[in-house]
This record gives sequence, structure tokens and C-alpha cells, in this order.
Amino acid sequence: MAAAYGNQGGAKMQRRDLLATMAAIGLGATSGARAQQPAADARGNTLVVVTTPEPTVLTNAINSAPSVAELGTKIYDGLLEYDMGMQPQPSLAESWEMSDGGKSITFRLRRGVTWHDGRPFTSADVAFSLLEVVKKFHPRGPGNLGPLRAVDTPDEHTAVLRLEHPYPPMMKGLSSLEAPIVAKHLYEGTDIRNNPHNNRPIGTGPFRFASWERGASITLEKNPNYWRPGRPYLDRIIFRFINDPATRAAALESGEVDVAFFGTITPAEMRRLGALPHLEIARGGYEALAPVMLMELNTRKPPLDDRRVRQALAYAIDRKFIVDNIWYGFGKPAVGPISSVYAPSGLFTDDVLRFDVPDRIERANALLDAAGYRRGRGGIRFELTQDVGPYGEDYRRMGEYMRQAYARIGVRLNLRSTDQASYVRRVYMEYDFDMTSGWYVGMGDPTLGVQRQFVTSNIRQGIPFNNVARYSDPENDQLWAQAAVEMDPAARARIFHAIQRKLVEDSPLIWIMEMELVALQNRRVKNLITSALGVRGGLYETRLEG
Amino acid sequence: MTEVPPAVTQQAPAARGGGRWRFLRRRLLQAVPVVLLIVTCNFFLLRLAPGDPASVLAGEAGAASPEYMAQLREQFGLDQPLLIQYLAYLWNVVTLDLGYSFRYQESNLSLIAGRMSATLLLMASSVLLSVGFGMLLGLVAALRRDRVEAALILLAAVLAYAAPIFWLGLMFIVLFAIKLGWVPTSGMVTVGAAHQGLAHVLDVARHLILPAVTLSLFYMALYTRLMRAAVLENLRMNYVVTAQAKGVPPRRIVLRHVLRNAVLPLITMAGVQIGGALGGSVVVESVFGWPGLGLLAFDALHARDLNLLLGILSLSSVVVVLANLVVDLMYSVIDPRVALS
Amino acid sequence: MATLHLPPALRRFLRQPAAVAGALVLLGVVSLAATADLIYPGDPFDIVGRPYLPPFTDGHLLGTDTLGRDIAAGVVHGARVSLLIGTLTAVLVTAIAILIGGAAGYLGGKVDDALMRFTELFQTIPSFLFAIVVVAILEPSLETVVGAIIIVSWAPLARLVRAEVVGLRSREYVQAAIAMGMRDASVLGRQILPNALPAILVAASVMVATAILFESGLSFLGLGDPNVMSWGLMIGAGRAAIRTAWWMSGIPGIAILLTVLSINLVGDGLNEALNPRVAVGSGR
Repeated sequence: MAAAYGNQGGAKMQRRDLLATMAAIGLGATSGARAQQPAADARGNTLVVVTTPEPTVLTNAINSAPSVAELGTKIYDGLLEYDMGMQPQPSLAESWEMSDGGKSITFRLRRGVTWHDGRPFTSADVAFSLLEVVKKFHPRGPGNLGPLRAVDTPDEHTAVLRLEHPYPPMMKGLSSLEAPIVAKHLYEGTDIRNNPHNNRPIGTGPFRFASWERGASITLEKNPNYWRPGRPYLDRIIFRFINDPATRAAALESGEVDVAFFGTITPAEMRRLGALPHLEIARGGYEALAPVMLMELNTRKPPLDDRRVRQALAYAIDRKFIVDNIWYGFGKPAVGPISSVYAPSGLFTDDVLRFDVPDRIERANALLDAAGYRRGRGGIRFELTQDVGPYGEDYRRMGEYMRQAYARIGVRLNLRSTDQASYVRRVYMEYDFDMTSGWYVGMGDPTLGVQRQFVTSNIRQGIPFNNVARYSDPENDQLWAQAAVEMDPAARARIFHAIQRKLVEDSPLIWIMEMELVALQNRRVKNLITSALGVRGGLYETRLEG
Repeated sequence: MTEVPPAVTQQAPAARGGGRWRFLRRRLLQAVPVVLLIVTCNFFLLRLAPGDPASVLAGEAGAASPEYMAQLREQFGLDQPLLIQYLAYLWNVVTLDLGYSFRYQESNLSLIAGRMSATLLLMASSVLLSVGFGMLLGLVAALRRDRVEAALILLAAVLAYAAPIFWLGLMFIVLFAIKLGWVPTSGMVTVGAAHQGLAHVLDVARHLILPAVTLSLFYMALYTRLMRAAVLENLRMNYVVTAQAKGVPPRRIVLRHVLRNAVLPLITMAGVQIGGALGGSVVVESVFGWPGLGLLAFDALHARDLNLLLGILSLSSVVVVLANLVVDLMYSVIDPRVALS
Repeated sequence: MATLHLPPALRRFLRQPAAVAGALVLLGVVSLAATADLIYPGDPFDIVGRPYLPPFTDGHLLGTDTLGRDIAAGVVHGARVSLLIGTLTAVLVTAIAILIGGAAGYLGGKVDDALMRFTELFQTIPSFLFAIVVVAILEPSLETVVGAIIIVSWAPLARLVRAEVVGLRSREYVQAAIAMGMRDASVLGRQILPNALPAILVAASVMVATAILFESGLSFLGLGDPNVMSWGLMIGAGRAAIRTAWWMSGIPGIAILLTVLSINLVGDGLNEALNPRVAVGSGR
């Protein structure tokens, strides 16, 4: 029956044609796909940036999520900016002076600055923004502007900040990132959270909001009336939102996109792409964030309530291995709670108990023996569970490494991976954890971002990103309280050195790595990173060449 | 190959024409309580999940104060008792108000609609590829039984049936996109190209090839084997022998009769394929970065965007019900002996 | 030559080259899994070498992954996980299917209707999506993965069992047993199910393969047990390096392919052996 079916030739012919057509579509269309520079040149003086996820609002005064911050800082200015060493520089404030023992700071504001809608910028905007917007709605607002009681505005170009007590950290938290100045005439008397200008922002910054194509891109255009003469150099910045990591990498490689912010491309891919001739890694620009990767320990739960056990866990980890093999070198081993980016201000010290000594494993084992946790069956002393931070695959890899590292000192580590919501609930709401992995931003000054993890007053169940280790030490609390108000820089530095020594001794947290939040850029991009804010700066010095 | 028993197979004396409309109406009515039940189950299942959207948003912001979290909770209506939330949700479903996504800042309905076209495109093309090539290859394998082609086709089918979809997708990307550069590695359109008209269609087509092929292979293999078995069985049947004896040209026998009968099991399985396509697309969309509902569901799960996830789950259940319906109808069209009882 | 008196089913099985090949491969996989601790003692998560080593370097047969873990060790230990999950799932699903399908098919009437509506409900829920939701909500672990797969897979098998039972219930010997006053449970257990067993067995064997594919899909998406080295996890972990070291994802996938393939071939063979049909084309 299977013989003599003449139409078989016909069926085969159809199939061949179909395949040929499909191949043609694939091959023919690829000829235009590999263009790199031509596609970029056609755009003119426009910088294309890829970031993720798409922001929900564009006003970073009320929302500190990373992509919101990346966008808002081009549209708004702050009173101050910061150079690579985190030293304050003039922005909307031209000069400032302290008086009354630090309880009063007079800012002389820049003249001739206008909002994107043409109205003049005045001290009333400063007063309104700081007291009614940032202090009330920014997640770090209450911390950054804590003792701010009032803002006097004797004239349109002078703002006097009055504080309950001296507060030197505040001077490090007045950037467009942490305390952007918004327009009083647009926000006063409105429901600030739902004000339409959160999505159609009007600022004083180098770029104006032009358009938002939901799910695709946001376009900012040059502010022709920017108060910095001749700036910005770029005509436009386009932010593209691409959901898929591989597509993002491909877009950067093909030149469709000029810059990829940190977090958009995996570290392994960043290494590979950075080695390509037309791409490079843009270093620096995260000093204003001072991000540190760490593990939080539940200090109220045995065996982690014993300091010796915590120190042993800190000794057991090879931080260099983690930096090199999991983060592909985009980081630096951490020695304590305060990142070395604070070194220019003198606040950092590495004269603390060091966990990277050659005999660290022996020390760890000795500590655990001394604490009374002898090795039992199978060489195991006790078990711990790590709640892996829901921040990406890399954290899982790190957890897997730690399993092996802790096996060497007789601790069996179980990994628990959950999504963000469950993680927040389990760790912050219920304290149902042994150790977590995650990262914190220290921000411009340790008081602003690091203190919240260690002071007794910040043991607040139900609130994420606070003192979840529940570490409580009166001497430590006192040191932090002193550091918050100490005006003399040298004395302040000494207090912080003492804090670091004590905290490392007590190890309520285990500090793993100072993260280098690098960006990946096309070589034709110049001056992307010019301040401690990096890509979260105004980008008014950035240029395209070639 | 052992076949998964189809969801619906009814064989009885025929009833045509008006019977079809009655059947349709009755099935649609029957579908309503099923869908409602599914929606309810989904609702309570998701509410059992630990955590809520407020925690996620707070987590993403990197900091939160108690006032901030309370504000968020109020915005999401999470401070209401469970029963109230359920009733409110039911009412919303009925009025097609699937909620608002604070994360994406648009209504869930428009979010789903926007992503749905991408998934539908992927699903439709994969089903067409599976059925089309499945029929073709199965036919060839049956008619050319003792030749090399048949053996090769069967070998390929058996391999395709056993390989995990996501792995196949990755390997295809390595070979066709990375090493050979014939097609793009991921996404649905070329970034920043902003094509219009025909250029846009071709751009999407290029991006569609690998994901659609990957998604289609499993069922294509199944259909090939089903078709082959069905054709072979039909060829033995009396009516074919009789027709041949009468001198009817072989081509006509095959096209008119054998094909029609052999395709029936395929149609049934196609219904299963469509029903399960959304789930399968989660993996394929993840591997290829295809911006569809599967990926949206995955993101929604991680963000605890329960409204959105509920909307997607319920929607796909509806799709399954409709697919079964369509399959039954098509079955009756092709084989008039089948009754729509 | 001495003749072996093999049961006819086994003889039929052995006459199919594909089935025999499948059985041999499966045997190979099972033995690898069984001897995992002998061939590659220790934890497959252990970092034993430099990362990114290609196969056949430095004593690593299949190379190392991005962290420096031995891929061959992962493959061998992963075989254990896959087979364990596959078999466990298949056994439990079969048990549930027999219970529900058997009851529905035998008792008929209202019970049958109700149970079938219940089954239909589960068949309408999109299976993979639902499994993802269940695992993510209950937190990924071996138990939740197995549980989720069971929830979404039992329905089709239950239908099969029901169809078989319905078909067998009307047979003469069954009717005779009922007429003689045999208790329902006995009729089911002694008369019906043993005759339905061939079909159920074949479907159950396929279920093992399906479960393995399911689990690897979940692990790939990051929803597998993070403390267990499974093939799906390896493929997912290797994805980051796919451009430079495609074998990290490639090799575990081949392992899945071979295992599932062999199970399918064995299932086909069982089908032919236990439900022999007149060979197609023999009556030309």
C-alpha cells in the first residue's frame, strides 16, 4: 500500500520551499543587524541608557527605588553635590555657613535659576521641599533630615536650616539623590503622593521630562535654561526598559544602547562585554551609596547569641574568593560595617579584628570548640539556615559557596530561597531566620545609612531594613549618639573608629564585600562618572565622541 | 507511544446543525461555574501566600517607615477583612475590572491585553507549526514507511519528545543565534529600531522563529507519531481497500478520506496543547525574553502582585475551557459521525 | 540450545530493539545514581577546581562550572534526584488515580459524575503555571516540588483508570463475581484492577518521565530545592555563562534527554509487550 504515491514528491517540494523561505527571512534580514556605530551615529547627540525595572514614578523625593533615583536626579537638583571624595560642592546652594554650634546652617541660594516651566526658583521651594516633602515622604527622609525643625527664608535667595541639635551627617545628605528640591507652586496644597507631576516632573535640573512610552522608554531633553552655562552637552537622554538580561546585553553589544547601569547585566557578562573593543567598564560613582554586601545574624537565637560563634562564622568565609568568582571582581572584601569609600573623610579604619588572616579556619574551629559546640556525628556541630536574599542568582551562588565554607568548620548550612515578599515577611516581620544575605547602602555618611542597622532604637519589628539582628549594646548606642552630633571632624573620626572596632568584635552582622556598582558603557561616552553619585548624577558633563 | 487520554471524546449517533448551537450554548453555560470556581480557588490560594505587595514595594524601595507601609497597605485595600476582599474581587471580575497594578502603573486589564498579543502570537504560531509539520511528517513517515526518511523522522520525533524545552531553547540560541548569527538571541523586536509596517512584521518574525519552533517541538513530535499511527491504521481499513479496488487514484484516497480520519486524534491533542500552551510559554518566554503573559505571571508572582497573577491564572483557565470547546466543535465538523451530546 | 521459558510479555518486550536499548540506557542511569557516592564521593556542591574548565581538563571529565564545581559529580548526583522524584511522583499519582478513577468507574452514577467534575476542574487549570504558583507560595523544597507535580498530574491518569474500569466492569467474569456476592472492594482489587494493570503501568511509566521534565523545568526557573543538586538547577546556573561555556548547560540537558528518552522507549516497549496489537501492515 505504501508504494506508488506520486504526490509524495509534491509534499516534499512544499516542505523544501517553506524551509527555504524561512531561511531566507533569517539570513536576509541579518545583514542589517550587525551595525554598531552607524546605528549610534544616526541618533545624533542622544545618550541611550538601559535600566531596569521601569520606574513607577519619576520623582525621587517620594520614592528611593534605584531606577526612580536614576531618572529623578537628572530632572531635579539638590542644595549640594558631592565630588568623588564625598566633599560637598555647590549646586542650588552657592555657599553655606554654620553657626550656633552647628544648629543653624545658612545657605545662600543661586540666583537666576528657573523651573522647567519658567517660574523662578526661590528659598520658598527649599523650605517646602525639605519640610513637607522629603522629610515626610522620602523613605530615608526622617533619617536624613531628622533634627530639622524649621527653614527660615529671610529673602528669596537665602534659606536658613534650623536644627534641634548639631547634625553633621545632614551635610552629606543634601544631594539631588536624597533631598531633591521640588516646586512649591506645583505641590503645595495637593495630595503629594498622587500629584500628577510625579509622572510629569518639573525640576531645575539639566534635563527636562519630554515623554514616557510605558513599557518601552522615557525621554529626557536638554534644559536650555540650565543654570550651568554651556551644560548639559547632551541633547537628549533616552532610558530604555528591557526586561530580558540577554536582550540588554545584546543591545549594548550592537550599539543600540550606550550605557548599561549596574544590575542590568550579570557580572559574568559584564566581564566579557567589558573586554570588547568598543565597550568599557565605567568605574566609580557609587561612593554616595556606599553599598556593602553582608549577612544579618539573628543574635537572639542560639547558637548565634554567642559572640564567639558569630566570629567563627566570619572567619570561615574567604571574601576574596566571593569577590573574584561570584562577582567577577566587581567588589572589594569588606573589613567592617563602614565601607572604605568613607576613607577621604577619615571615618574609615581597617584597624579592627581581621577575619582574613592565614589561620582563619583554625581560629574558627577553636572559637566554636571554646563556645561549647563540639563536633558531633558526621563532624557537624550545629545546623543553620540561610535565607538567601531575593536579589538575583549571584546570591544563590554565594549561598552555595558558603555551604561548603561552613562545612569546613562543622556547620551545616541549609539554603532557603524565597521571593521578595516572603523574605521581607519572614525576616523583618517575624524574625523567623538564622542568617540572611543581602546588601545595605550606607549613603553619604554612616549616620545616615549604617546607624540604622545597629542602634537599639531601631529595633522595630515589621519595618524592613533596620536593626533586624536586634543587636543592642548601650556603649554602642552611646557612640552612635555622639557621632551624630560631634562637629569636630577629627573627634568624629575617632568615634567612628571605636564603633568599627566594637562592632567587628561583636559581629552582629558579617560583612562580606564592598560592592562596586560599575556601569558598562560604549567607548564613545565620555565623562559619565564625574561625582560620587555616578550615574545617579545630573550627567551634565557627559559627552559623546566619535 | 502511549497517548494521554483526551479530555473529551464523545461518540454516538449524529445530530447536526441546530444541535451545534444548542451544544455551544450549553457548554458555555457549563463553563461559567467552572471558571468561577477556579477564580475562587485561585483567590484563596494566593491570599494564603505569605507576604503582601506592600512588603515587596517597601523591599524594593530599600527602606520603609511604618507610616509608609501603612499607607501602601491602605492603597492596596489590604486592611479589609478577607471576605470583603473576596466579594470585591468577584464583583470586579464580573465587571472585567481586574485591578490596578501599582508596580506597572496601569490597569491590569490593559497590562494583560498588551502582553496577551505577544503570547497569542507565540502560541498560535507554535500550534500551527506543530499541527502542520506534525501532519506532514507523520504522513511522510507512514507513506514512506520502509525508507530512510521515515526512520529519521521517527528518530527526530523521539528525541524531540524527550528533550526539556528550556534546554532545547538554550541550545538553539547557542547554535543559531550566537554561533551562526542567523537570528537574534532574544526579545520580540530589535531595540531602538522602531520599525513600521512590513519592516516591523519581518522584525517580529525573525525574533519569533526560535521561540515558536522550540515551543512547537514537543507536540510536533507527538503529532508526528499520532498521525503516522492513525494513517497506517486507516490504510488498512476496508474503505481504503475498496476504494483502491475501484480504481480511485491513491492521492484522492489519501487526501479526501485517510487524512480526514487520521487528523482526528491530532485535533483532540491540539486542544490539550492550546490549553497547556500558557504554562509552557512561561519557560520559553523566560529563555527567549519574549514579552508575554507567561513572563508577566512569573514577575507578578515574585512581586506578590496578586491581582495581576489572579487575572492571568483565570484568563488562562478560560482559554483552556474555550479551547476544549473549539476542539469539540472542530471534531464534529470533521467527523460527522460524532454527536455533540 | 537450551530454551529459556520467559513469560510471553517479556519475550515480546525483548523483541523490540528500541525498547531494549532504552532499558539498557535506563539501567545505566539507575546504576550511576545508585553508585553516586562511590564514584563521586562528597557533596556535588563542593568547589573542587578552577571555574570554567572545559571537559577533559585537570581530571574533570565534564569540566567545572562557574564556581569550580565538578560537572560530572553534579550529573551523577543529579541522576539520583531525578529518578527519586520521578518514581515517587509516579507512584503517588498512580495511587491517587486508582483511588479516584477506580471509584468513579466502578460506582458510576452520581459518584462518577461528581468525581469526574472534580477531575475536570484539575484538568482545566493550566498545569505548569499552577505548579509554579504552588511551589513559590509554599517555598521551594523537594516536598513542595513533588506535591505540586502530583496536584497537576493526577487528573489525566485518573481518567484513564476510570475508562479502563468502566470497560472492564461489563465483562462477564466481573458480572459473575458481583452476582456471586463478592464484595465491591474484592471485585475491584481481584478482578478489575489486575486486568487494568497493563494500561496503568504503561501510563505510570510515562509519568516518571513527565515528572522528571517538570522538576527540571521548575529548578531551571529557580523554584527547585536550593539544597539539592539537580539537573535543572545546573542548566539554570550555567545559563549565565552560555556564551563562553555552553557545555555547563548543555551536558546536564543531555542527561535529561537520555533519561527521559530511555523511559519513553521502555514505556513504548511495555505497551507493545502488555497490549500486543496486530502488527500494522502485516495484513497487506
